[in-house]
Amino acid sequence: MGKEQGFYHVFEVFSRRTQDAPLQHQFSLLAPNEEIALVMAQENFMRREPVSDIWVVKRDYIRRINEEEKAALKRLDNKDYRLTRGYGDLKKRWRKYEQIVFDEKEILSWKGEIRR
Amino acid sequence: MSEKPMHFHPDGQAALVELLFQLADDDFLIAYRGSEWLGLAPHIEEDIAFSSINQDTMGHAAMYYQLLEELGLGAADELAHVRPAEERRNAVLLELPNGPGHYLREPRYDWAFTVVRHYFYTQAKRVRLESLRKSAYTPLAEVAAKIQVELHYHLLHWHTWFVQLTNAPGEARTRMIKAIQDAAADFAGVLTLGARGADMERWGLIEGEDVLTEKTIAALAPAFTEVGIEWPMLFGMKHGNGRNGEHTPDLDDALATLSEVRRAIPQAIW
Repeated sequence: MGKEQGFYHVFEVFSRRTQDAPLQHQFSLLAPNEEIALVMAQENFMRREPVSDIWVVKRDYIRRINEEEKAALKRLDNKDYRLTRGYGDLKKRWRKYEQIVFDEKEILSWKGEIRR
Repeated sequence: MSEKPMHFHPDGQAALVELLFQLADDDFLIAYRGSEWLGLAPHIEEDIAFSSINQDTMGHAAMYYQLLEELGLGAADELAHVRPAEERRNAVLLELPNGPGHYLREPRYDWAFTVVRHYFYTQAKRVRLESLRKSAYTPLAEVAAKIQVELHYHLLHWHTWFVQLTNAPGEARTRMIKAIQDAAADFAGVLTLGARGADMERWGLIEGEDVLTEKTIAALAPAFTEVGIEWPMLFGMKHGNGRNGEHTPDLDDALATLSEVRRAIPQAIW
């Protein structure tokens, strides 16, 4: 690269397929400035698919986590209490109660009160 | 073709056919010149973007040749590949080579000229399409509406290059100014509708060339304000009027190359 390094910059390209689709990272490209980057982005990465929005951002402007900081990403594997696995059988329970037949004997046993 | 050919009013048909050949040949030749840049554009991203534009433009030409086929003028592929230079109706500006050299041997192509030629042409094309959408020949109006969809990107692309290179300091601006002068010297050939232009207007096929020229000049004006160059300037037909079948030897070379495979085995089925 050498001399070119000052002229071309790396741009990251993001796009949405439809208006309410999530923003997706597509690719990166080389361009001298953001206008050229935008013009290149469309035909390089979204030529054969529908697209409703395009973002480009100079990679230099992105604050990335560095190698040292990646240490902060580590977690102990003891987080069961934070997980909602306990609710996993709710659907099954609902199905069970919905299937109970409310016969005469059952309703009379409530003695005028709705049993909850 | 087994189907009965489409037709327009018998007295207006000649003007319609003439107009369709101009539209088809213009797009076909500039797409061909553009395709010669494959692998040579300033950087890889542009190589892809430009190739894609050329394919779009070739597709536009194909739609016009198809309309001619439906009018009984012959098969679209034949119309594109086999007609000799003197039957071509494209503006000469669009057939001029990309620069010295050859795409296979030491190409010394001129990117500034390419940017200016494509930008000028695309603006003129946009104005024509706007007018064609109201064409009395409905199939043409429908094709124009389709092509218009892709013109937005083409314009954005060429406008960006045009303004950035012309406003860049040093060699870029000098070369762009030279390219603007070279393109202007033949731009009248793009703007003219040729000898049957008045008929085209009378039959409601397209607006008159004076109106279209005025609109094209207006469409290009904001970009010239952006780059601080006086506009409009004098347009000419330095290398001849392609609408009358006047062309340069460069067109013969281009046709020989682009039809080489087609001519090798004419009976081949594609």
